[in-house]
Amino acid sequence: MAAEPILETRALTKRFPGVVALDEVSFDLRPGEIHALCGENGAGKSTLIKTLSGIHPIGSYEGEILVKGSTASFKTIADAGNAGLAVIYQELALVDDLTVAENIFLGNEPTRLGLVDWDKIYRDAAALLERFKLDIDPSARTGDLGTGMKQLVEIVKSLSKNGRILILDEPTAALTEAEVDVLLDILRKLRNDGLTAIYISHKLDEVFAIADRITILRDGKSITTLDTAESSPGEVIRHMVGRKIEDLFPKRESDPGEVLLSVKNLTVQNHEGRELLHDISFDVHAGEVLGIGGLMGSGRTETLMHIFGAWGRRVSGTVELDGKPMDSPNPRKAISKGLALVTEDRKRYGLHLDQSIAFNLSLSSLDQLGSTFIDRNHEVKRNGEIFRSLRVKAPSLETEVGTLSGGNQQKVVIGKALLTDPRIVFLDEPTRGIDVGAKIEVYEFINRLTEEGKAVILVSSELPELIGMSDRIVMLTEGHVGGIFRRDEATQERLLAAAIRFHKDAVTTSATNQPAHS
Amino acid sequence: MKTRDFSLLIALALLWSFFTWQVPDFLGARNMTMLSIELSTTAVAALGMLLIILLAHIDLSVGSAIGLTGGIAATLIFDHQWSAPAAMGISLLAGVAIYSVMGLIVAKERIPAFIITLGGLLIFKGLFWKVIGSQTVPVKVGDTENTLSVLTTWYLPLWASIALVSLTVAVLAIAQIRSRAKRRSYGFEVESGELAFSKLFIKTQVLILALVVLSQFRGVPLSLVVLAAVALIIWVITNHTRFGRYLYAIGGNEEAAVVSGVPVRAVTVGAFMIAGVTATITGFMQTAYSGASTTTTGELMELDAIAACVIGGTSLAGGRGTVPGVLAGAFLIATLMNGMTLMAVSPEMKFIARGSVLALAVWMDVRLSRRGK
Repeated sequence: MAAEPILETRALTKRFPGVVALDEVSFDLRPGEIHALCGENGAGKSTLIKTLSGIHPIGSYEGEILVKGSTASFKTIADAGNAGLAVIYQELALVDDLTVAENIFLGNEPTRLGLVDWDKIYRDAAALLERFKLDIDPSARTGDLGTGMKQLVEIVKSLSKNGRILILDEPTAALTEAEVDVLLDILRKLRNDGLTAIYISHKLDEVFAIADRITILRDGKSITTLDTAESSPGEVIRHMVGRKIEDLFPKRESDPGEVLLSVKNLTVQNHEGRELLHDISFDVHAGEVLGIGGLMGSGRTETLMHIFGAWGRRVSGTVELDGKPMDSPNPRKAISKGLALVTEDRKRYGLHLDQSIAFNLSLSSLDQLGSTFIDRNHEVKRNGEIFRSLRVKAPSLETEVGTLSGGNQQKVVIGKALLTDPRIVFLDEPTRGIDVGAKIEVYEFINRLTEEGKAVILVSSELPELIGMSDRIVMLTEGHVGGIFRRDEATQERLLAAAIRFHKDAVTTSATNQPAHS
Repeated sequence: MKTRDFSLLIALALLWSFFTWQVPDFLGARNMTMLSIELSTTAVAALGMLLIILLAHIDLSVGSAIGLTGGIAATLIFDHQWSAPAAMGISLLAGVAIYSVMGLIVAKERIPAFIITLGGLLIFKGLFWKVIGSQTVPVKVGDTENTLSVLTTWYLPLWASIALVSLTVAVLAIAQIRSRAKRRSYGFEVESGELAFSKLFIKTQVLILALVVLSQFRGVPLSLVVLAAVALIIWVITNHTRFGRYLYAIGGNEEAAVVSGVPVRAVTVGAFMIAGVTATITGFMQTAYSGASTTTTGELMELDAIAACVIGGTSLAGGRGTVPGVLAGAFLIATLMNGMTLMAVSPEMKFIARGSVLALAVWMDVRLSRRGK
């Protein structure tokens, strides 16, 4: 039955200075299947995609790529595109200020008599959206859509260009659960119409819901390819990490001390004057993990950013640190008072991607290296210690952060926060987009913090993670506190019920209010 | 060495060969001295520009500010018989003040520096012409030299030049030895002693060569010492201070810098204030070099300063650029201008050449940054 592969790699090897990113990877894609690629960060998934899609041109790798049995020699992304390969990246390639239809046909505009045929663009766009059963207005401004809808527009755009093989790189990283369901539904339908796709995701439940086969990469090698029907998530994880994982959430018993941070009746507006947080109150104790959950747009990130002084205008309420009021500071003051924030959007708020690991690690804690002049030697020593203790996988401290995998980037952000010697650490989705192994390292790091008597506020969209790691959980709903639960009384059902308590429109609302700097 | 550094060196070598071939006097001691003075003015202005561009801003007003600050000093000295140090002090205050205002507006109101400094370009030029009454104002009364006029006419005596070069070499050597010892004590790797020695040796050779050539005319010009001091200070700021690190952080990713606790406003205003100081120093030197303040003093120098930064590898998008790079870029610009003057190139062609070099430099920057990705 095994049809001839539509896309195949044979002993594909890609070297970067000092690293073998792909080590004789063999992989085949059959027509009409959805084939998942799984592996930890740095396992080689992104490199494989970049090689397949022509970003790493022929000649820069060893081994062979075959399309329909004949050797392909892609020199550019366009070559790969002409061969029918369409890649949908984690970072969307849509122009916010254009309409949906304009985006779909961007760079590919039909013309009549040399002029853009706008009627045809809107007609065809409407037909395409209709075909995929997407309820999106082709004349809507793309920037007004939620992330999930944008992702779908991106897929429609790729398919409109005769993409026969769709490569989806973490397509659900920024989607709500409902949006994920829509996406998976559409992919199933497309598969019935003959679509072939490579699907990369850290979320094994999605992989098992959609993929026909799974290829697992580890340390640049293709470990095995499994039939989804005959496999299990446990088996996949075992192959991914190369060992058995006993306990995904290594939560230890903690011993909460006195109240460190107390939030009382906080009501906050965004810069346009819309009230996004209403009457929020909670306490955080030393040595405790306080989880904050809620759907997208419930105000989780805004709450953290506001306390940290990076977002919003306070209408009323107080934040107390050690029982003393801490008046809406800026991030600089917050850091000096012992707060540290690991942001959700690490590329935007967390990192200087063009700069070295060392530059990033030091940035928040330069005060400790001298009042005016920086003690360079002390800096290198201090950075080296945290670099090793967080086990960042990189050739050296001088490596550009932009070249690291997501998990390693996250470790750098965490390292930067740790170097400020904080007492309260805010972690906003610290495990988003990173693999199982790195997740467990983050959890162990949380435990280390609480053992040292520090307080941790953990924001997460994943309920099992919240329940597994928190001592208490605050559920937010539409900017209100929907409920506060102790670990032993928290169940997924109860938390969800609290998350939609005040909710009118749980699915389509997404976090449109990006915190702005003050 | 990177492609960028190489292409800069090759461009310099080509320019020097070309001018020497066209005008043999180019390499003469007299012209080398003139070139070093012209380099000083371009480079000091460019070093201030570097701080602004690192922040991903730009300063279009520096040419007018150079004219204005030089004009204030010259007018106070010539028309009002002030002592030169007092006149220069007032002028420096004015320079820092106008730059502080621009910095505050950029930092607090978040108006693009492009617009604010474009406004500055016109406003300062208007103020400048008012100050000098659209006349030519000499920098000294009669033949009496003063602190302003000597900036580009005084030369270090030979013994002082030799002492300065020896001192520089000694400081370089001691700094290297100390840093190696310190790195060892922390357990870091140090480069081989031979390599370190040969680097120091080459630097010493270059200094001695410059000293020998310049001494055949009148000696090391004071303006070159001023440039050395400014370059050293800016280098220390960008490489060894928190403020400097913050410049790169803000230019690289301002949002991440804010969340990391970087005081963006204070750093932005600070950078503008330092640029005000370098603009004023350039104003003194440029005015002194032409002997008088006239309506065209400093004109278009903002473009030379920007070109020097970009040629030297400074990214207009912010977050990348170094002092040695800017010095090399300024050297190229100064060479070009000096050589063209020597060849008696017409003003029309000079404009075209200047513009082409600026465009070429930005194009190279874009090309090379793209390849790096």
